[in-house]
Amino acid sequence: MLKAENIIHRGQIRVVKGIISVTFFILIARYFYIQIVKHEVYHEKAEVNRIQAFSLPAPRGLILDRDKNILVDNYPTFVLSAIPQEFENKQAKFDLINELTGIPFEVLEKNYTRYYRNRFVTARLAKNLNFKQLSLLEENKSSLAGIHYNKLPERSYPSQINGFHFLGYVREVDRVKLKKLGDQTTYDLGDLTGWNGIEKYYEKYLTGQKGIDFFEVNVRGEIVGQLVDRIIQPIPGNDMRLTINSELQEAMENSMSGKKGTVLVSNAKTGDILAYVSSPGLSPQIFSGGTSHEQWKKIIKDPKTPLLDRNSSGLYPPGSIFKLILLFPLIEEKKVLPNWETFCSGSYSFGDRIFNCWKEEGHGIVNMEKAVAQSCNIYFFQAVQSVSLEKWAATSINFGFGTKTQIDLPEEKNGLIPNRNYLNKKYGKWGWSKGAMLNLAVGQGEILVTPLQLLQFANLTATHGHTNRLHFNYGEFKQLNLSMNYSENTWRLVDRFLIATVSQSGGTGKLADPHINGLKVSGKTGTAQNPHGEPHAWFFGFGKYREEIISIVVLIENGGHGGEVSAPIARLAFDIYFSNKNIDLYTYGNN
Amino acid sequence: MGIIEKIKEANYIIIGVTFLLFFIGLLALLNIAIHQGGTIQSSSFLKQTLFVFPGIVLFFITFYLPKSFYHKSAYLVYGAIVLAILFPFIGQKISGTYRWIDIGPIGIQPSEFAKWIVVLVLARYLSDHNLDLKKFRTIIISIIVAIVPTIIVLKQPDLGSAIIILSTLIPMIYWSRVNPYFIFLLVGPLISILTAFHNVSFTIWGITMIGILYIARPNIVHGVMTYFSFLLLGLLSPWIWSLLTLYQQKRILTLLNPDLDPLGSAYQVIQSQTAIGSGGFFGKGWGNGTQTHLKFLPVQESDFIISVIGEEMGFGFIMVLFCLFALLIFQIVKLAFESNDRFSSLVLIGIGTILLSHIFVNTAMAVGLIPVKGLPLPFISAGGSFLLSCFMMIGLALNMGINSFE
Repeated sequence: MLKAENIIHRGQIRVVKGIISVTFFILIARYFYIQIVKHEVYHEKAEVNRIQAFSLPAPRGLILDRDKNILVDNYPTFVLSAIPQEFENKQAKFDLINELTGIPFEVLEKNYTRYYRNRFVTARLAKNLNFKQLSLLEENKSSLAGIHYNKLPERSYPSQINGFHFLGYVREVDRVKLKKLGDQTTYDLGDLTGWNGIEKYYEKYLTGQKGIDFFEVNVRGEIVGQLVDRIIQPIPGNDMRLTINSELQEAMENSMSGKKGTVLVSNAKTGDILAYVSSPGLSPQIFSGGTSHEQWKKIIKDPKTPLLDRNSSGLYPPGSIFKLILLFPLIEEKKVLPNWETFCSGSYSFGDRIFNCWKEEGHGIVNMEKAVAQSCNIYFFQAVQSVSLEKWAATSINFGFGTKTQIDLPEEKNGLIPNRNYLNKKYGKWGWSKGAMLNLAVGQGEILVTPLQLLQFANLTATHGHTNRLHFNYGEFKQLNLSMNYSENTWRLVDRFLIATVSQSGGTGKLADPHINGLKVSGKTGTAQNPHGEPHAWFFGFGKYREEIISIVVLIENGGHGGEVSAPIARLAFDIYFSNKNIDLYTYGNN
Repeated sequence: MGIIEKIKEANYIIIGVTFLLFFIGLLALLNIAIHQGGTIQSSSFLKQTLFVFPGIVLFFITFYLPKSFYHKSAYLVYGAIVLAILFPFIGQKISGTYRWIDIGPIGIQPSEFAKWIVVLVLARYLSDHNLDLKKFRTIIISIIVAIVPTIIVLKQPDLGSAIIILSTLIPMIYWSRVNPYFIFLLVGPLISILTAFHNVSFTIWGITMIGILYIARPNIVHGVMTYFSFLLLGLLSPWIWSLLTLYQQKRILTLLNPDLDPLGSAYQVIQSQTAIGSGGFFGKGWGNGTQTHLKFLPVQESDFIISVIGEEMGFGFIMVLFCLFALLIFQIVKLAFESNDRFSSLVLIGIGTILLSHIFVNTAMAVGLIPVKGLPLPFISAGGSFLLSCFMMIGLALNMGINSFE
């Protein structure tokens, strides 16, 4: 228990008492200095002036394309606000402002309550004031004590490209968002913050640090001086250089206008995204200007879903492109030899069902190369029977399907690669048969992929597995978490088949080749059946010129045959990219 | 001993000063409530007045419980309070922090009670008569006891309370007559790092260290090594700091000071200083403070209440206030000195430290002596949990101050 005796030295108590005395002495001395010595100074300050702090907004970083052209810029707008503390007779002042500027009374009142934080911080009344409005307000300043205007940098989009889905947009921080951000020091009501795309993903990097301006304000609310030595200058956000090739992006956007679908172009080795189009899109400007409630409602209800980023969040059956997945276990494990031949009559019966080839009259005798190049279903219906569902699913997952590509965008879907468990759960253990495998073999049925996953697949195929993660951030390369253990022989065969698809007579991808000397184009088309009408038209491929490989994925929703509608868009992309690089070598073929 | 006899034994000066301070605080709050519009019903004044009832009940309970109870249950209560300050992290943030536990209509801040519970545990540990005070391990264990709740509270984030919890450590170690050289080993590196950014301070510190080592006379190799490693640490820290990017520096500074709000705090200090300075010697009179009543000062009911008092009552009254506070602290130290057993003595020193730290941080920040930390002024500022905690500390102090022979 409390046995330990309390033995304290006299010295100890002296030290403790000394420290206490010094503490109180320091405090009393400081209060004496402020209240007695400096009393006059503070007295005057308190009587005449009050100090008002205004935050100085920091511009966000610019967003540039790979050639450092500005894609997203800032421009100053004028903002009218009121300091609640000084803003007496609110209604009368709103009336006067309304009279001078024509801004509706209701708007002023609504904004005032929306942006009100406390009595000392300015509450925004109106935005985008023009010079005439400003000068009228300035003339009447004496009867408008408590108003204040300052510049606010807003986003503008000077380039020709649209890029809505990857650039994203900024919106004002409202009360709900402010609570969510939790960071009261960086953000205020009415500040801009990234709500989507690059603007959101790189928010921390792009956003600047606000500064503060201190003013002395007299009793009538008029600014009489500035405390220059106290100004804290704002620090602008960092500029962000993207991998986007503006020329290609613009051309791809134009080629997709009026269509529903996507185009993705990337550098296969580095993973740089060169073009990223999801159609239909929107102008990124819609959120900076005043979009009316009706307009906004219309956008949300649009059946063409312009807000949806089809590249990262659109889920589609991949169609015949997925035949490539099957090639790897087939060749690697010698289940089917490349020179094995079968006969395609246009249809194939399995169990009690009939499965059809897309070519009704049949392909005749087909080997592996012809089956890929001419996209024969019958060949793959037969070949798939030597591969287990587990093996097939494992190969798909190995190529990055069913998981996110981890591209630097805030949102991305996983897609779906079915396995035994999934099918058992969905249809019951006996509810599905080997027949399901026949569908999966040609990319139909329960498979869902995003266009980005297909682009990553194109990069892996083009580089034999040695590519980087897809990205927008220029110069940042991250390893992929996928390991490719296929023999060089397998890769070479796949290469050969993909070239045949574009170059062989009867190949479905012939329209993708711009016939540039030295450019080797590989590809695969897909025509994916879906419940929404006409099949989706896919093109998937890459063009190799010397050491440079550019990969491309094109999807046109309900477009029909991939070889007919999507391949020509790929040709345009190759044409623009490579003809520009090698103008001297460029000769057009007669096709 | 019945409660009546126990009260007769208690230190009347502490009781008197406590209630005088509380009364002054109530007047200041009433002043704010009357002169700033709003209703009395919704004011901090009413809330503070209502909190005095549970406050007094808790005061009597902490006062009446036998010392042996505190000694026996110290570790158990410590475990409970660590869980209690962790608890808010499970739920949602309340006004941006994890400080609050909601109990019906009122919120409780367990960290306020953690302050003196840490003192109880340290006192029990350091008063163990089997404890070898010559061993450095003793200090390490004491540090762990104090640092665990400190880190949790820092994460809430509540830098002010974290500082308070940690501030009790060194005075209590010193009071328990642990070899003072150990304290030097403990705080030396910190002082080296802090002084390193200021040449004169660093030189003075370098010379002071020689003096300390000369008096302490440790083993010569050990002494020389200590001296140079502390010196090197100081010399390296500005260099390491300069290697960090501006962004990283900012991250560290905001980590150390989560309240860092450039717009808010710079503004608050300017306003607070103007209010206090314009008060002069006599003040502007009760209810006549132009600065405070124009509502220039945010949180004037709690963290900046001294500005209201300073402006309206003037330097003369501020002096009275400081004298009352000093009297309170000196009385607690006196009890600590006169106490028969080491446990009581250490508890008294710990409570004295908590109160003094609060007084210093609160009044010093209002006049720009130190950066703004949100800490209330004992008995004066509005604030439920803190007021209850203060009454409990006084009950405890009076209890420990009675030399009974149980």
